[in-house]
Amino acid sequence: MQSKMTSKTIWLVLLFSLFLMGADNGDQSGEERGKLLEQQKQLSARLTTLKREQDYLVFQRTMYASDSKYLILNMSKKTGQLKYKNRILKNFHFERVSVSGRVNRLTRGALTLTQKIEGDRKRKLLVFDKSLVMQGVHAPATKLETGIPRFSLSKKDFRSVYYAIEPGAKVYIML
Amino acid sequence: MTVKENRIKMDDGRLTRAVHEEERGNIQPSGHPSIVAFFPCLRTSVVIVMVQVFAVLSCPAGAETVTETTSIEKLRSDVQSLQGQAMQLDEGNKGLRNMLRDIDDDDLYLVVDTESNRLEMRQGNTIVLTAKVGTGSRQFVKEDRGRSWYFESPMGSLTVLGRERNPVWIRPDWSYVEENMPIPPRNDPDRFVPDVLGKYAILLGNGYKIHGTKWKNLLGTHFTHGCVSLGDDDLEIVYKSVKTGTKVYIY
Repeated sequence: MQSKMTSKTIWLVLLFSLFLMGADNGDQSGEERGKLLEQQKQLSARLTTLKREQDYLVFQRTMYASDSKYLILNMSKKTGQLKYKNRILKNFHFERVSVSGRVNRLTRGALTLTQKIEGDRKRKLLVFDKSLVMQGVHAPATKLETGIPRFSLSKKDFRSVYYAIEPGAKVYIML
Repeated sequence: MTVKENRIKMDDGRLTRAVHEEERGNIQPSGHPSIVAFFPCLRTSVVIVMVQVFAVLSCPAGAETVTETTSIEKLRSDVQSLQGQAMQLDEGNKGLRNMLRDIDDDDLYLVVDTESNRLEMRQGNTIVLTAKVGTGSRQFVKEDRGRSWYFESPMGSLTVLGRERNPVWIRPDWSYVEENMPIPPRNDPDRFVPDVLGKYAILLGNGYKIHGTKWKNLLGTHFTHGCVSLGDDDLEIVYKSVKTGTKVYIY
């Protein structure tokens, strides 16, 4: 009878210690889990940055090999460059034009010049993929689809850019 | 469960039936001994199971141990895979950056904007000089015999082919047509005119040059026959800065 009791006690002690070990392991794994999640978050952010960088570098490589002039627009600095291969041909500033209604958000990346419009009173517009419109300082006299973000350049700068590029030319948007 | 069903179960085994009877509080006192009597060690087992159940219930972390281990394993492998991807992208980007750096140079080059009639001398990202220029008038001249000329500056990527000091202008046919004068033979002395192109000329090919002008008040407009005209001071700086092979971009 006594040996039975001892055996039960041993069993219980063993099980309880196992339970305690399990609880301790749970704490450790929780800590590791937290670390891994944080690492995963940081790596995902780094991957996004690296992919963006790669996209821009690939764009540059393509344009260096191309025989076409192109634009780089830095949205945060509101500055742009007209480039040919690796050479800057022109630097310019631009402003966002406020338009009524909801305006689509611009995304980072390349767009293509799809239309060069010469509207009434010789007011010119450059339309990129129905996603971006560039114009001179004056409001355009041409009706456009709503929701397209618009940017204006000084009259002189816009004329230079307007005649420098042809449909098919690329613009790279940097946010 | 009906009594009939119980009997059918009884054919399969007494134990099953006994448990059911116990559940219904209908234990038969005779002929059917309890389960504990059959298995004396069952009491210990029940205690162990109860302790286990208690342990599992009192510790949710313990309850999820298996799932958690799996999710940590998955997290570990995800992180490893992300690290691999990041390393690969980083390497790729390094290669691209090096390639672009090799293409990039710090050479001096000229840019002529024919819309705003401006010349920029650039080196890398730095603008060394900005100057007003005269570019092609964008006008036609027609000869009675049917020849015509359109005066536009040459567009595109050009190269400096040579430089001249005190250049002499060799009057082309259109110059005589423009002034309604008879066209002289090719080597006629009247064709060689000094002192109209300024002190220096930079040769761009096909007769096009960057040179000086007598009509300085017209700088900043379209007034030339296709050449790029510069003021004296700017011309001297540009002449002394460029060399054969310097790129000139006219747009």
